[in-house]
Amino acid sequence: MLKKSQWKLNLGFSFFILFLILLLIQVSLQLTLVFAVSLAIGFTLQKSRFCFTSAFRDPLLVGVTNLTQAVILLLVISVPGFAIAAAIADMANYPLSLYVSPFGVHTVIGGILFGIGMVLAGGCSSGVLMRIGEGFAMQMIAFVGLLIGAFLGKYSLPFWQTSFGEVPGIFLPDKIGWLPAVAVQLFILLVLWKVTRWWQKKQNGVG
Amino acid sequence: MATFQIDIWGEMCPIPLIKTERQLKKMSCGDVLVLETDHSCTSRGIVLWARQHGHEINEKEVANGIWRLELTKRNN
Amino acid sequence: MKDGLKTIYKGPWSYWVGAVILAILNILVLVIRQVPWGITTNIEAWSAWLAKVLGLIQNEDITFEQLMLSSGTYLNLGVILGAFWATLAASQARFRPVKDKKFVLSAIAGGLLMGYGARIAKGCNIGLVLNGIASSSLSGWIFTVAVFIGVWLGSKILLRFLL
Repeated sequence: MLKKSQWKLNLGFSFFILFLILLLIQVSLQLTLVFAVSLAIGFTLQKSRFCFTSAFRDPLLVGVTNLTQAVILLLVISVPGFAIAAAIADMANYPLSLYVSPFGVHTVIGGILFGIGMVLAGGCSSGVLMRIGEGFAMQMIAFVGLLIGAFLGKYSLPFWQTSFGEVPGIFLPDKIGWLPAVAVQLFILLVLWKVTRWWQKKQNGVG
Repeated sequence: MATFQIDIWGEMCPIPLIKTERQLKKMSCGDVLVLETDHSCTSRGIVLWARQHGHEINEKEVANGIWRLELTKRNN
Repeated sequence: MKDGLKTIYKGPWSYWVGAVILAILNILVLVIRQVPWGITTNIEAWSAWLAKVLGLIQNEDITFEQLMLSSGTYLNLGVILGAFWATLAASQARFRPVKDKKFVLSAIAGGLLMGYGARIAKGCNIGLVLNGIASSSLSGWIFTVAVFIGVWLGSKILLRFLL
């Protein structure tokens, strides 16, 4: 096994990406920008070996919490970040909608199935996409499963909604105001971070 | 100072780390465990775990996208 | 300095650097797309289109053009190509085969459960854990707790059948 530089392939691929971007610009500037940012997201996910599955799973299975803490940091930035973005957009009359979805029994069942699935598939949805890019056959197979599962899920959601009911989405700032909502969530995240620290210490033992 | 090797090739996270943990329990201080993987996250995870547990570890990319880890057990 | 430059294209970046960059990029997606980043809504749309092409369903009016003009398609494609680009930049690109039949089964089962779960809950780790919580929505927190329970169950299965 030899180590060869892949710069030629890289150069070729860079031209291919450039070509795609130039093509997309003809269609829509918004789509082009979204594509560019998601390329950067894929790049960052791979380079920092970011993995949401690992963040949930590794504290339980191997007692490692580094990625859990990184996900908490991601949320600590995102919660006020989204609040500020929404506030500025509101002032500037820029249309911006956040994800506030209704929930019910299907949210809990879905979450549990999703959690089991991501451990078995070796990656959540973003992890599967990133690992397809990394060349893993396993996640390419998982993607086929993801497509079939999503198809089945689409047509069984009405069943869950009608048999168990659904509560309209609760947007915390509507209930308690923006500042308290952000503060409460940051506090919960801080507590979670403390818990991971304690857990890590406990797992590492005295050493 | 024995050298051991376990096969973690092509396995999904975190199975390689669990296997490493179990193998290390059977080894004595100063023994070396050699691992090879094509999984960037696995390699990173084992390096971090080993450092947190006070073992010595060397990570080397031996071929394109293939890492060889040499872990020297330093404590129980 | 030279090592620092090498880390940029070789990696690995530390997790917190990744978290900060991802947080900024995630907010950028929100601003540009006017809706937060999500993955499985688009995957569901593609699966419905594929089913229509294969003749499994007739009553959907989803077209290829619609999918190609949907920002979700470019988000998912961008993550795959960006990750491939990152491995190329580090000269680490290769095909990584599956070792064992049991991992093929586990990948299919895991993918199915994930796809189904994400679509009845209307979100995944990105759409509900990250952006549900970032949107200060209660559903994000509920889903996160459920995922944690699922991962605990999944870990039991992994230790029992895959190790």
